[in-house]
Amino acid sequence: MNDESAGTDAAEATVTTATTGVEEDDRAYLTRVRAEIDEEVRRRRAAGDLPPQLESELEALFLQHAPLGSTRQELHEVLRLVDAAAFIDPVVPVESSRPGGAVVKKSIRSMNFWYLRFITHQISQFTTAVSRSLHILDHQLAELTQKVAAVEVPPSVVVDVAWAHRPEAWWVPTVTAELEGCRRRVLHAACGDGWLVAALTARDVDGYGVDPRTDRVAAQELGDLDLRDESVLDHLEAVQAGALGGVVLSGVMEASGHGERRRLLEGAVTALAPDGVLVVHSLAPSSWDAADAPPEADIVQARPYRPGTWAHLLDGLGMRTTVTPGPDGRDYLVVGRRHAPPPEQR
Amino acid sequence: MTPKVAFVTPRYGPEVMGGAETAARQLAEHLTAECGWTVEVYSTCAVDHITWDDVLAPGDSVLNGVTVHRFRSASGRVPEFYDLDGRLRSAPAQATETEARRWLECNGPVTLDLVDALRAGDADVVAFYPYLYYPTVVGLEAVAVPRVLHPAAHDEPALYLPVFAPTFADADAICYHTAAERRLVQRVHHVAQVPQIVLGLGVGAAVEGGRSGADILGIGDRPYVVSVGRVDEHKGSAMLARFFGLYKERHPGPLALALVGPVAASIPDHEDIVLTGVVSEADKWDLVRDAQVAVSPSALESFSLVVLEAWEQSVPVMVNATCDPTREHCERSGGGLWFGSFAEFEIVLERLCSDAGLRARLGARGHDYVQRYYQWPALIRRYAAFLTAVCQRGRSGRRATS
Repeated sequence: MNDESAGTDAAEATVTTATTGVEEDDRAYLTRVRAEIDEEVRRRRAAGDLPPQLESELEALFLQHAPLGSTRQELHEVLRLVDAAAFIDPVVPVESSRPGGAVVKKSIRSMNFWYLRFITHQISQFTTAVSRSLHILDHQLAELTQKVAAVEVPPSVVVDVAWAHRPEAWWVPTVTAELEGCRRRVLHAACGDGWLVAALTARDVDGYGVDPRTDRVAAQELGDLDLRDESVLDHLEAVQAGALGGVVLSGVMEASGHGERRRLLEGAVTALAPDGVLVVHSLAPSSWDAADAPPEADIVQARPYRPGTWAHLLDGLGMRTTVTPGPDGRDYLVVGRRHAPPPEQR
Repeated sequence: MTPKVAFVTPRYGPEVMGGAETAARQLAEHLTAECGWTVEVYSTCAVDHITWDDVLAPGDSVLNGVTVHRFRSASGRVPEFYDLDGRLRSAPAQATETEARRWLECNGPVTLDLVDALRAGDADVVAFYPYLYYPTVVGLEAVAVPRVLHPAAHDEPALYLPVFAPTFADADAICYHTAAERRLVQRVHHVAQVPQIVLGLGVGAAVEGGRSGADILGIGDRPYVVSVGRVDEHKGSAMLARFFGLYKERHPGPLALALVGPVAASIPDHEDIVLTGVVSEADKWDLVRDAQVAVSPSALESFSLVVLEAWEQSVPVMVNATCDPTREHCERSGGGLWFGSFAEFEIVLERLCSDAGLRARLGARGHDYVQRYYQWPALIRRYAAFLTAVCQRGRSGRRATS
């Protein structure tokens, strides 16, 4: 590997690579280093750099105390371990620290060898069959992943609309009035820099926020507001059922696929207390076709629902809804309250 | 008027080795010293987290401005624990509540007097640290004031035992070490709605001892990598020693490994590996400062102060790829690399040792990260503001009536 950055001042914000002469910022530089390391690992493994038995021993040592739920490893990586351990050796080591010990052990091994070989042969056949089937599974999984990637609905993105997602927007007083006096916590997603959470907190509402856009939350993460860099869906699925007094969703639904939109809604309704309030701010479908539409209008295979669709959906989830159109028809606000028992609790 | 805070932690004091217990002491002492808060601690007389033997004197004392109430344990870890733990650890979530409760009691320390005293105390808010032990589980059930849980959780079988579900669900607020810890806890226990903060710990200023690291190790002018912390199989020390030994077989040269900390594992003798045992604070900082790389081989960390202490001195780090919190530190800061196998360990170490520019770059990124997030004055003020908000919010997420 090249010693590309030797002599670089640690305080510099950029580095010049020996190979390209192009200045890189820190993040790109480290990404490149990491990629080079990964490539070198692949190259050495392909070259059979370590004997399989040794590699198996080292992997087992590494994994001995690895966390139960560690998801950092790929199936094909773990399969290397399976392969290395698949052959059960009937030739038992006979080294001994005691005088004559090796001779005794060797004699015992010779006497039992026919028996051990019979047993280990069957075990090796079994482990090899398991290993082979896992390789087939891995291969099929890789193929399936490739096919799915081609038609995959991209993970939901937050639509950022400056005129709608700000404290002075027309719908904000309605929301704060709806939630004022709420005794339970109120979630705002996507919370951005916490502008609505701050407005709720100022009215003594116990608000907190979630946003998958790391950079938005990171700018505020040392502040006093409870803002989290998390996927909205993951968050809702990790909320105790019936725990929240309100859920406000803005910029979340417009660009989500139908399946994900459904899960978001169900998650939000499940998270709400019986007297909880669900608020959805959405762009109108016409805004999706307007000249100033957010780029997601072109990028994702989704579009905002018409207001009436919310009434239909939320009614199915046991909520009665009120829809308030925005003053210029570009957006609208849906407020839902439960009028029937909640869906099956998690 | 500032709230009165009580910390509950099963071990407490400078003689105690343990990440969670050290963290509790640091928060308590910094709240007292820098914010002027009244802080008291409820703890046991134990130093050892396996036996929970009563070693320290029971009763009240003051340590660095913090009032410490120590209580004897009714029982420590009992032999039955090992059978039960072995039986439950393969499918901990399927354990019955009775089995899990028994596991908790067998793990110790059972501290009835501590819980009684806590119940009768006059604190405005109680902070429990960590989730794993009887004083937290039973104490959290007992007190009437707002309760903050500091889980210090790892992805370990015990986290999935049903006895801990109410501990997480009933906490009025949760203080995490890292976002990775928050993700883990929220994945296992559905508590995402609970008020929370990702705080971590502050890094103290480096203590200059004035000696070179190589001098302390007695290795002349050889370069070395360092690993600070309890030398323990569970901390990955044996794995690190094996990996390093093999690295040296394949890369002969002067590089040495220093394992710095109390030794609780059998590490085979190796001419390139130095076990220092316990060293002074000054020696520890000197050893880290002069290392080429600091290695954190442990897969089970909830924070890892030693990683941040290395970055405080602009030393790059290598961490275990399966340890989400330390890996998150590296990914967020750009101050370190990680390894998930011997092959990666070898290549990362090879690269770091041969590339001074890379080391400097990583060290600088790590240093910036520590300056931004983990300096005591700012960090303890955030924590104080968080505790104040918890008090104002009151119990069970309901706003306190004023």
